[in-house]
Amino acid sequence: MEYYFQTNCAAKSSEWTDELHELQLMFGVKEFMVIAPATASGVVLDVPEASKLLSSVAIALSNCGSIWPAFVPVHDPTREAFFGIQNMGTIFTRRFDADRIRSQVPIKLMHLEGLHQLFLSKFGLYATDFSTNFLKVKFLMRLTYITPPFDGEDDAQVREHEVSQSPGKKDIQTYIKTIWDDDYPWSNWYSAEDPLKGFELTAIWSEHTVDDSLEMEELENASVFEAEKWLLSPVLELNMTDDPMGHFIGFSSQLRLLVKALDASFEVKFIEDLITDGNPASVPSPSVLDRVLKGLFHDGQIPDRQHDHGIGGTIKGAPLGSLFAQFCLNALWFGNCNIHAIAVLWIEFVREVRWCWEESQPLPRTMTNGRIDLSSCLIHQKLQMLAICIGKKGVKRDVNGNSSVSDVDKDPPIMTEDMHEERLQAVEAFGDEFSFSALLEREILSSDMSAFKAANPDAVFEDFIRWHSPGDWESVENEERSSASESVRMKGDWPPRGRLSARMSDHGNSWRKIWDESPSLPASEQKPLLDPIREGEKILHYLETLRPCMLVEQMISSAFKASLDTLSQTSYGDLKQMKLKIEQLYKTISTSLKPLRGNIVADRAELIGDLVRLCAVFEHVEKLLIFAASIRHKLADATRLCEAIFSDFYNYYLPKMGTGSSNICYDKVFKSKQLIKAHEREVIISLFPHPTANQSWRKVLSMGNLLNGHEPLTREIIFLAHDGATDDQYGRNVPRGSPGEVCTHRMYVCGTSNDLQVALSVTSWD
Amino acid sequence: MNSSSSNQSEFDYLFKLLLIGDSGVGKSSLLLSFTSNTFEDLSPTIGVDFKVKIVTVGGKKLKLAIWDTAGQERFRTLTSSYYRGAQGVIMVYDVTRRDTFTNLSDIWAKEIDLYSTNQDCIKMLVGNKVDKESERVVTKKEGIEFARKYGCLFLECSAKTRVNVEQCFEELVLKILDTPSLLAEGSAGTKKNIFNQKPPQADASAGSCC
Repeated sequence: MEYYFQTNCAAKSSEWTDELHELQLMFGVKEFMVIAPATASGVVLDVPEASKLLSSVAIALSNCGSIWPAFVPVHDPTREAFFGIQNMGTIFTRRFDADRIRSQVPIKLMHLEGLHQLFLSKFGLYATDFSTNFLKVKFLMRLTYITPPFDGEDDAQVREHEVSQSPGKKDIQTYIKTIWDDDYPWSNWYSAEDPLKGFELTAIWSEHTVDDSLEMEELENASVFEAEKWLLSPVLELNMTDDPMGHFIGFSSQLRLLVKALDASFEVKFIEDLITDGNPASVPSPSVLDRVLKGLFHDGQIPDRQHDHGIGGTIKGAPLGSLFAQFCLNALWFGNCNIHAIAVLWIEFVREVRWCWEESQPLPRTMTNGRIDLSSCLIHQKLQMLAICIGKKGVKRDVNGNSSVSDVDKDPPIMTEDMHEERLQAVEAFGDEFSFSALLEREILSSDMSAFKAANPDAVFEDFIRWHSPGDWESVENEERSSASESVRMKGDWPPRGRLSARMSDHGNSWRKIWDESPSLPASEQKPLLDPIREGEKILHYLETLRPCMLVEQMISSAFKASLDTLSQTSYGDLKQMKLKIEQLYKTISTSLKPLRGNIVADRAELIGDLVRLCAVFEHVEKLLIFAASIRHKLADATRLCEAIFSDFYNYYLPKMGTGSSNICYDKVFKSKQLIKAHEREVIISLFPHPTANQSWRKVLSMGNLLNGHEPLTREIIFLAHDGATDDQYGRNVPRGSPGEVCTHRMYVCGTSNDLQVALSVTSWD
Repeated sequence: MNSSSSNQSEFDYLFKLLLIGDSGVGKSSLLLSFTSNTFEDLSPTIGVDFKVKIVTVGGKKLKLAIWDTAGQERFRTLTSSYYRGAQGVIMVYDVTRRDTFTNLSDIWAKEIDLYSTNQDCIKMLVGNKVDKESERVVTKKEGIEFARKYGCLFLECSAKTRVNVEQCFEELVLKILDTPSLLAEGSAGTKKNIFNQKPPQADASAGSCC
């Protein structure tokens, strides 16, 4: 025999508070005690034995002056039946009795009227001459509805679908589930289970007096809008939030596989090695490979704008939509991102790139604007450079072009990061010994001067300076002629009066020296600063001989960036916490990936460990985002509710997100119950669309209290009967401080058409 | 990547600094004044110049690689690449020429946003030529306001008299030493093993001290 205490001392103002223990709700008690045998069933199967036990417990409790009620579970455990007793001082005793029917509920008891009569019939058991007008029966009700499965499309389309598929053949619920995220940015890559299965709507009627059973019938037809209080709570898909060992498939799961591939890539020297001794089973079939390459090179449109999230720019990866970013995203899902599949895809990718180069075809998905994006990864820079080289290769030189000053301007030198690096290192190497002035810039200045001379045969050094470095020309007419000087000069007041600045006219000025040495030569005849053929071939050589770890390293940066860029395009309204989490993730990724910028990895295990943890953090944000998208979609018209529920979920989820490890046990259950304001009720009602003809014939509706044709999931009722006779013979015995009325009977009913639970508390004078 | 690994012990951190601003505001003079304590009229910089100075700040031996860029418009597209990886950028204007000051917000601050690859990079505003006090047209207050708006450090100096020249670089470097993400990069430059270091705090911000 074992017994335990459960207390809930806080005074409850409402009968419907969520924190109530089952027994508190059923019997209207506060502190209580349950005596249960330590057997497998946990109940006393024999009724007389239970009564005997209860009496002895009651005596024991009264002997020690306790007024706590005691309960004993009886019968079969599935009935959840209890006997109970409570000594209330010397006068009153309260008895408790609860039972449950799990099937074939009598039709009478499916309805409020019948339940009301059941309550009234309980008075007869206690031989007092109660008449109904002597009693006040009070009534409270709580209805819980659950939303029907969500449809991602509007009703018309769903109905259309139902018509086209012969009814009953395909489950509509499954159909609906598969399409909920169709419009979200991640759906190009994967389909996520809707984390939000639905909503529970709780409608509460607070206490009011019932005169007769007919009134109960009316209540059964009453509109839910008459309920005093509405509460909304989301129903979650638990697999999503409590995913103990990675069943979630999304960007994060694939990134984890890419990290694994990185680890493997350190072992291999050449990409080709991964093909020859690779495991062919892990590589998708050639037809899949063909489809991916086609998607990459032929269906590609140039991204209209590089989707650089302000902070995302610090992740050293290719911009979303660019050729290499798309390669990375495809690789994540190609052959589940194992190193062999990556190698196969890369070799074919480079082959396609070479084809573009040989055939002088523009490189798809590669935007340059004539400059290299140095904040991206090297492969992307190389592809940009190649795109520029392909462009230059195709342009024929126009030798007899008309020269003018504007022709002098040539493109700035285009360099990828490694070219800059080489140059800076050369400069640094000389820097300490010589007074260095960059050779490349000197060359450019000289070339500008040559072109200027060719375009303006009579030009002198001063003319060049006025155009090239206007700050070094001091005009004497400045003060005298002000703004008119420009037009006057054009009319022939030439040369303009003035002089070179002191520093430009110094003896031994380096500009003058270069001017004197520069021959007159039009820009079109000068040796180009960039030899497109040579540079293009160098790039292809780089791509074709890239070491596996160098490839996968850059893929990691670009894949993290492109995945998050994709996710962050999701519309989730104005959920500030979500925005903050995404920004934080950008920063975390940016700092965590910094070690990848070099090619020496000192502690491989630590690096891989860090990256795996990063994937876990990514997964949390990804899931949170999917939740945000889902709630926003469903409650788009009730912004306040949407934000409140998201906030509850965020606070529930946050402790899990903090740690990267997923195997810590959390037993906290997600709870969110939002009070719905009057103006929000219409939005909530729209979550309960009228069932279609097909759906409604499946259900037999028998309870009443319908909401747009949907029965409540549960209907809970409390009947209370108070003894209003204050002047009867027992009146003077009422303990001081209690109200004049004594609650003599209380009945709690919770039920549907095939499950009915009844709990009765009766106070008697012994 | 492994070049110059022999001089590992020479310094604790390597920082890359960049001087930008209009042509003729005195960037090269400022650099020369700092690195060799001299002042002379210099030819306009062609493209970019580069100086190295080893200093000791806050007990740390620092190697400063200072890049001096040309202010001419023609060179602007060329110099863009020098913003890469700079931990500090010094924006110089001439207190006797208003256009050099207004161009800071019109041109140079935008160039930093555009080309800097380092979001935590420390910016410093320097008003040069305070020796020509009688010709001054940009007040100190205006400088302070600009610095507050753009979140940068601020000093006025004279490359000619060497007033505040040392301080310009010292304050900038102290701020860099205060910023974990920049510090991590600086030590990466020493070719030490950077992979054993914990990544810096994600929310470390550069901020402003003005």
